[in-house]
Amino acid sequence: MKLYEYEGKRLFSYVGIPTPNGQVVREPVKVQGKVVVKAQLLEGGRGKRGLVRVTEDSYTTISELMREGVSIFLIEEFVPHSREIYLSAMMDRETGNPMIIASPQGGINIEESKEVKIFTIPLDRKLMRYDVDAVEKYVGVRGLEPMLEGLLRLVLEYDAELAEINPVAVTEKGPLALDSKVILDDNALYRHEDLLKQFQREKSQSDSYVELDGDVGIIGNGAGLTMATMDLVKLMGGNPADFLDVGGGADTEKVTSAIMRVGSNQKVKKIVINIFGGITRCDEVAKGILNAYTKIGKPIYVRLTGTNEEEGKKMLQSHGIKVYEDALAAIGDALRS
Amino acid sequence: MVQGITGKEGSFHTSMMLKYGTKVVAGVSPGKGGSQVNGVPVYDTVQEATKEHEIDASIIFVPAKFASDAVYEAVDAGVKLIVVITEHIPVVEVAKFVRYAKVRGSRVIGPNCPGLVVPGESLLGILPSKYFKKGSIGIVSRSGTLTYEVSHLVGDIGQSTVIGIGGDPIVGTSLQDVVIEFDSDEHTEAIVIIGEIGGTMEEKVAQMKRDGKIRKSIVGYIAGLTAPKEKRMGHAGAVVYMGMGTFESKVESFKRANIPVANTPYEIRDILTKIIRK
Repeated sequence: MKLYEYEGKRLFSYVGIPTPNGQVVREPVKVQGKVVVKAQLLEGGRGKRGLVRVTEDSYTTISELMREGVSIFLIEEFVPHSREIYLSAMMDRETGNPMIIASPQGGINIEESKEVKIFTIPLDRKLMRYDVDAVEKYVGVRGLEPMLEGLLRLVLEYDAELAEINPVAVTEKGPLALDSKVILDDNALYRHEDLLKQFQREKSQSDSYVELDGDVGIIGNGAGLTMATMDLVKLMGGNPADFLDVGGGADTEKVTSAIMRVGSNQKVKKIVINIFGGITRCDEVAKGILNAYTKIGKPIYVRLTGTNEEEGKKMLQSHGIKVYEDALAAIGDALRS
Repeated sequence: MVQGITGKEGSFHTSMMLKYGTKVVAGVSPGKGGSQVNGVPVYDTVQEATKEHEIDASIIFVPAKFASDAVYEAVDAGVKLIVVITEHIPVVEVAKFVRYAKVRGSRVIGPNCPGLVVPGESLLGILPSKYFKKGSIGIVSRSGTLTYEVSHLVGDIGQSTVIGIGGDPIVGTSLQDVVIEFDSDEHTEAIVIIGEIGGTMEEKVAQMKRDGKIRKSIVGYIAGLTAPKEKRMGHAGAVVYMGMGTFESKVESFKRANIPVANTPYEIRDILTKIIRK
């Protein structure tokens, strides 16, 4: 679950990561002096979109941003600083250890930066002074211990999948977290009910729907097969409109709601469904397709194989829906239509 | 041994495994000791089960909240191979039990994996058995359904062993681990890797191939050509963070190691046929 910047900073304060003074507001307010008004959104790239503004008139700035549809704001003191660096922590997938990722340049597009170094902190021990020394030497900034300690605690105690400070401002009074990006492990949310309550957030069901730009709706079972289906559509000259994995053992209801969700996207002109039944039963899937078919009124191309495929195929065919053995044929027909 | 044998999944898949010929000798379900599931005796604890039976592998169907506990219990009882089917276990917990098992000499496969099958011999998992046939291809995969699909597509050549290692960010057994096993397995002639975006295991295998550590032919396939960055595609593992583990980096590293890459699952069979005929 992605947290808002202000929620992430709340967690920062719990683990001792210093942040600028600020307040969260949902309406225009007047604040003395130079401040930064930051729209609170879950998507990135706010700076580029003009949603982070330095102003001496917070009231007007917030009013303007509200007209653009933003509803939550973080107002922070303006922090003069000489340099920016990058710090984050997450679990290293290869070694199963937590790691700290650092760059002497903050605010940059970290993915493309050449100056990035990974510091692995073995799971069997805590952060040691010499770890801190190594990071501080690499980025050329002192006083990072509270931040490094805090980031690791967010990963290990708060189950953050990613805890990122970008940028860290280097000020006369020490380093300060200007921004926060915290993603909590959905699977561990049951251990953090108190946080969800405090942030008034619902436990997001690990969502398996991702919207894309194209016009071919994609539904599959299993992340791999669904991704492979998207890729096939692309390779054969089409454009996927989404990724939707109905998961293992999807029942009629789940399939129906998946089709309704994809089909209600205005951009979607046709839908490709690719099901390889293992735990998932093809007859259940077929029932789900029939429930949704007439309601969405868009062509559906179904590849259905695996457990109970005969029953499933018969049900669809008796309602005039063509069923394919082979995903290539289903996608080919979908793209030609 | 099946941990969580009295649950819906546990009991169903126990019957499927028995049908396939797997020797399931014991089940564990706290509080259900003394009962039976499909003729398999059930014990309250792993220790009780290991006292009565010789157990060389365990498969875990325990719900996520209690799955870590089940893994520790199996490791402590000295079980050497532990297949964790359970999905949605917090990643830090996985890292901890994987470490614990490794230090004590147990191998964990999964979590969130379909398990493994040696066609014609034994099934330790939830893979639908009808798509597997005894043969010479070793298949290792990070995706469940895609494993079935590819096994089905190479059905006429057949498989030596098929292993789904799971799609979570941290898994007990990596692609590298399995590829090394396949390389020294006399029944395996060529290896198929079904990878996906996220992590860098595919790149690591490619490096091993380049370094001459793997002698057998490998065919690669990577799902996620069209996946946008920083979006999670289905399960927890398939997400690109910090630019690590992109589709491009995986395909590139395979190509640099002269590992042919199939653009679609359908191409895997053609590539394999050429390799095997050599």
